[in-house]
Amino acid sequence: MGSSVHKLIVTVGFLSLFHSAFSAAQHRSYLRITAQEFTTLPLDIVVQAVVSLFAVMWGVLNVAGNLREIPAAAELNTVKWETQRNLPSFYIFNHRGKALADNYIPSGSKCELENVE
Amino acid sequence: MAELLLDPKIRLWVFLPIVIITFLVGIVRHYVSIILSSQKKIELLQVQDSQVMIRARLLRENGKYIPRQSFAMRRHWFNNEETGYFKVQKRAAASQNPMTDPGMMTDMLKGNVTNVLPMIVIGGWINWMFSGFLTTKVPFPLTLRFKPMLQRGVELAYLDASWVSSASWYFLNVFGLRTIYALVLGENNAADQSKIMQEQMSGAAMAMPQDPKAAFKAEWEALEITEHRWAVANAEIDVLSILDDHQHEPQQ
Amino acid sequence: MSVAKVTKDNNKSEPVAYSDAALRNNAVVVEYCRTSMAALSGSTAGVLGLTGLYGFAFYVFAVVSLWVMFMVKTGPNWNKYYVSRQSLLTNGFFGALFTYVLFWTFIYGMVHVY
Repeated sequence: MGSSVHKLIVTVGFLSLFHSAFSAAQHRSYLRITAQEFTTLPLDIVVQAVVSLFAVMWGVLNVAGNLREIPAAAELNTVKWETQRNLPSFYIFNHRGKALADNYIPSGSKCELENVE
Repeated sequence: MAELLLDPKIRLWVFLPIVIITFLVGIVRHYVSIILSSQKKIELLQVQDSQVMIRARLLRENGKYIPRQSFAMRRHWFNNEETGYFKVQKRAAASQNPMTDPGMMTDMLKGNVTNVLPMIVIGGWINWMFSGFLTTKVPFPLTLRFKPMLQRGVELAYLDASWVSSASWYFLNVFGLRTIYALVLGENNAADQSKIMQEQMSGAAMAMPQDPKAAFKAEWEALEITEHRWAVANAEIDVLSILDDHQHEPQQ
Repeated sequence: MSVAKVTKDNNKSEPVAYSDAALRNNAVVVEYCRTSMAALSGSTAGVLGLTGLYGFAFYVFAVVSLWVMFMVKTGPNWNKYYVSRQSLLTNGFFGALFTYVLFWTFIYGMVHVY
């Protein structure tokens, strides 16, 4: 919910920044046509550009993702009992109990295994 | 110095297209390299090998906690002359030189094709198509030393150094837009992270021995010379002595 | 997963363990914001038509304000998220400067040169 608000801020800020760029270009061409010297941009364009810059920066900061807490303890606190009990070294993929299953097809003896090569 | 006036059409038909072309070529190159990159296939046999290695190692290190007979039984499964796993399984010796590995070679070739070739082709095309324009002016003064860098293709001795020619503008874009790719192709980053996660999940099993034959032989030897020394032989006495200590402690 | 880096803290003598994955995640977020900030502030500098040292001063201003925004976002307990505030300010200063200059030149050219 909060993220969509920030995305809206980013979009609006971009449009506003683009609009101010367009206004500045228009201003420059107007000055050129009327043969005036360029000194500085009108204040409203400057304000619009800077304000939209800050808006987009703030939006991007929140869109970019959440910072995570770096102390290792903070992460360890979230470890659940189920995860703690997960011991990869004790995984068994070839348990002899599978011989009890209905669809078990006995494989050959080790001598046959040797002959497969 | 006299202010140059550039035709606004240059902005629309040279300046902007160069930026867009460079950017889009970068994006396309990224996706092409994703398509071309071959996923490292993990073979079942390799996983099996590595798991067996892990089990053998565990037996060697922690075999002292199981009775002698159990230890001998497990070692028999690995090391028996006729039926032991390390003796039965015959693996081809891995090729030593990665250059002789055809998969490695094609990977390198793909990397070159996706990185260098577009750079040359697009660079040449831009040079040919948009040659000889002054495109923009950097908004800060530069010394004359930057002239050959920023004004490639426009040899004017008295031009201010801060003007940028079209060819140089292309190269500036090529180098400067790299960080923007990282920004735009952020989803790639996420993919990378999940890959790291995956690797960590499967853990040591993915660290496959390079040469299974040699690894099997080494493991076989190590297992063969392992002496079973039962760590819990005196368990009862130990437990009783601990209990004794606990009983005596309050009185002291 | 929980490969932790142990770093000595200067104030307290006891070592503090940091989670590697969280550090990496934060670095990615900070890098994302920094690149965006460089591109955006470069564009703004181009729109405003800043030239010479004013443009570089604007970059410094943008870097500092991004840093302030990070501080505002995390609040008072910033050391839960960063190892140090100074390195957050100074890391990647020159890497992002190149992006900044490119966008500055680009938008300046688009708006003011022609």
